[in-house]
Amino acid sequence: MLTQIITILILVSIVGCILYGRKLIKTEKIDAVFGNPERAKGGTHWVIVGSSAILLIWLYYSWDIAKGFYPKSANELCQVAKINESLLGLKYQFPIDEREFKSTSIIKIENKNIEKISIEIQNSQDLNSQQKTVLIGFLNKTGQLIPLLTKDNLMEMETKQKIDGITEKINLLIENFKKPDYPFETEEELNKRLQAVKEQGDWGITTVSAGTGTIENTFEVPLIPSTDRGLKFNAAAEELKIIDEEFFKLRNHNPQFKNSVKKIKDEIKAYRASLKDSEEIASNYAKNIVKITRRIEFASIYPPNALNKMQKAIIEFEDLQKSEQGNLRLIDLLLFPAGTIVSSGTSCSEQGSGRWLPKPSDTLNKFILMSKPSVGYKNIPLLWIDMMDVSKIVGFILPDWIADVLPGDYPIHSSDGVVKQNFKGNVLKIVTGDFKLFKIPVPYGHIWDSFLRVFLGLVFGIIIGVPLGLFMGLNRFAKGFFDPLIELYRPVPPLAWAPLIISVLGIDNTGKVFLLFMVSLSIMIISARAGASGTQLSKIHAAHSLGASNRQILRYVIFPNSLPEILTGIRVAVGMCWGTLVAAEFLAGTTGIGFVENVAKKYFQYEVIWITIFIMGMLGLLFDVTLRKIIDKTIPWRGKG
Amino acid sequence: MKKIISFILGCFVALNLSISVANSAANEVRVAYFLEWPSPNLEDMQKKNFAKALGVPVKWTNFTNGGAMTDAMLAGDIDISYSQGLVPFINAVKSKAPIKLVDIAMEYGMGGTTCVTSNASGITKANATELEGKKVAVPLGTMAEYVFDESMKVVGADRSKMDIIQMDPEEGAAALVSGDVVMACLFGGNSIKAATAIGSRLLTVQEARDAGILGIDITSVTTKFMKENPGMLRTFIEVTHEANARYKAGKADMNSMAKASEMKVADMKETLSGFKFLTPEETKQSMESGNLKGFLDGMGTPKGNVDTSFLPL
Repeated sequence: MLTQIITILILVSIVGCILYGRKLIKTEKIDAVFGNPERAKGGTHWVIVGSSAILLIWLYYSWDIAKGFYPKSANELCQVAKINESLLGLKYQFPIDEREFKSTSIIKIENKNIEKISIEIQNSQDLNSQQKTVLIGFLNKTGQLIPLLTKDNLMEMETKQKIDGITEKINLLIENFKKPDYPFETEEELNKRLQAVKEQGDWGITTVSAGTGTIENTFEVPLIPSTDRGLKFNAAAEELKIIDEEFFKLRNHNPQFKNSVKKIKDEIKAYRASLKDSEEIASNYAKNIVKITRRIEFASIYPPNALNKMQKAIIEFEDLQKSEQGNLRLIDLLLFPAGTIVSSGTSCSEQGSGRWLPKPSDTLNKFILMSKPSVGYKNIPLLWIDMMDVSKIVGFILPDWIADVLPGDYPIHSSDGVVKQNFKGNVLKIVTGDFKLFKIPVPYGHIWDSFLRVFLGLVFGIIIGVPLGLFMGLNRFAKGFFDPLIELYRPVPPLAWAPLIISVLGIDNTGKVFLLFMVSLSIMIISARAGASGTQLSKIHAAHSLGASNRQILRYVIFPNSLPEILTGIRVAVGMCWGTLVAAEFLAGTTGIGFVENVAKKYFQYEVIWITIFIMGMLGLLFDVTLRKIIDKTIPWRGKG
Repeated sequence: MKKIISFILGCFVALNLSISVANSAANEVRVAYFLEWPSPNLEDMQKKNFAKALGVPVKWTNFTNGGAMTDAMLAGDIDISYSQGLVPFINAVKSKAPIKLVDIAMEYGMGGTTCVTSNASGITKANATELEGKKVAVPLGTMAEYVFDESMKVVGADRSKMDIIQMDPEEGAAALVSGDVVMACLFGGNSIKAATAIGSRLLTVQEARDAGILGIDITSVTTKFMKENPGMLRTFIEVTHEANARYKAGKADMNSMAKASEMKVADMKETLSGFKFLTPEETKQSMESGNLKGFLDGMGTPKGNVDTSFLPL
């Protein structure tokens, strides 16, 4: 329901905004010539059109519009797909989807193969003339097998009857299929089916296996027909399947053919047995000839006109089922772009863009589900709050060796088996955080972990990069000393370090933060340096003549002057860090958005993959907007120096 | 404006059509396989015997993991995947991919896929419950994850209490060496070599075999190809089994196999020694009531994705 409303809203807003935009162009008095930036100002309506278009494309190619307006269409198309699947085996014999009869193309290929091998044999240096004659003889005999299959008068009566029988069955199916109440379901069957339909659920419902906390793949397309039209197709598909199997097993083997095949095989077998070990090449050729024989034996080759009636029946059924589909065909064509529902034996699935582009509604549902702290992903919530005792923080900050350096020994248990605590033991408890204080909420989860990594990488980059950059901009030694080092490492793509990280820094956060630090450091150095060396000399001179010390010049002239550059650098670095984060978390993950995406990929969970992409986009945007706000607040002089 | 609209409409039509026109007639058969994962039929690949037997050209493409094989099959770029891991196949059919299992490529013991604990941690089979609460590296969604699960059942340790880190084998080995994890589950000769240098297998190859832990690689095929070219599929499997028989009889051309799998002959022989190539009869038995059946059922695989009718019995 929601999808329908949104789709209509989007369409209305797109059309409305375009009309408004065109009207505006006509009514607006424009005295700005082409190239004047005035012409690019304003235009909220185009923003609406742009974002609506993205959403519309997403809705359309994920087939969510189809799901919203025709929720039963997938189930019905699944039944149609079942027919198509059953027909595949029957149809591939005939020039319906292909250009020629399967028999024709097989004969063409095999004749070509026989010719090829015979030329090979005749030109072979390794075969003597006697071997050549024998092998060519075999080849000719094999080639003569084909006419035995294609001659009309040689065809067995039994085979003919079977073909007629199959044709009869198809015709009967056509007759029945036309009837509105086909497949003549009884009351009891109907109730049973409706019950099953109720149990199987609707198209695209997310199931969560309780207890394990894992998110299973979306249940895609319901299999049991829920509509009368679907039922009809389902029943026909089942009948066709039986017909298909019968035809698949059928071979046009008459006694003459069977004898010839047996004769050739026996002759070749005898010939190969008579060959010595040194005559392996001839033996191999003989083996390949047997393979051709067997291929001809296994292929369904029929006389040219033997299957005409059957072909007609199949085409008739094909046309009939297409016309019976009615508006379903139109829905399939228009609302299932770039793919369709495909049946595969025991299940129906979306194949095409609907498969890898999850529906906005499904994605949203799954996102809501994953946001629940009890579900999360791999037992860790996306973002949640954990109550942590402050003692843990105390224990983390105070180094453990404080207890070790105190005089005395740690308590030893007495002969009664009691441990009496002493001062040194108590200190150890405090420095390791083994005591109770009040609790404070601490965020944790995949999003928080990713955020923290980016934040730490950035902070370290700033703490080291900014002073170093300023120093390099002001001091000849620093510039000369650090320049080669930094210029060498700067152009290296951050991911080039990745293979080394695990070996050198391990799998904990250190490695990932280090990778992000490497990214932000070079950017911060470059921007701080550019900011420092870009300070106007007149300002420095003014400060000097007013009696400022070196430190004061740095603090009050150079640093404020380079701040705009530095903050722009931070913005660039944030973007780069997000870019690297995913790859960093691919390395060895237990948490993080990149880890979620990496694992989801392995289980084909496309919804989860798209959710991670959105989360990353949103977080990146959040970072950027925050920074922009900070820049506007802290350095109002930006762009005015 | 008209130009823009017609351009957009043109793109729209092109995009909608592009996916539906994939491979209609089988003028060539496209097969996926692995490098450094030798099998006897690679000799036939090298000598183009498959093309001779099938009567059409056969194009072989190498992949690095089974999941990518599935993706390529769904995109219509691959018809047959040879020696796809069973776990990626199961993941694929669980997500309703239209592919079918038609043959077993090989069974292999824990020689090729195993869990290694570091000697420094002092953890062995006897005190494996100490793994709980510690960090272990596992490549999720691969055969190694299955081996990990089964091994934990054998030694009686609880998987949910461990800190499982998703790591590819090479990285898992590196983390084991650096002491970041106490156990790493891996596949691939080089990774196992690096890991066993400073650690030892949690279960020996024999123990794993006794516990019924084994890897199975399979041949999978798209439903479409199976329906449209049953003869070719049958021939493909037949040639593969002929190659297996030839290998067992000691008549295989090791050099050409090594060349095809891009390995040194000695390394390849070592890898091959851990493989078991089944006869068609054994394959059928495994698919219907044996190891494969047990494996599929144990992993909760949807029924109806196994087809034994193409085996050359």
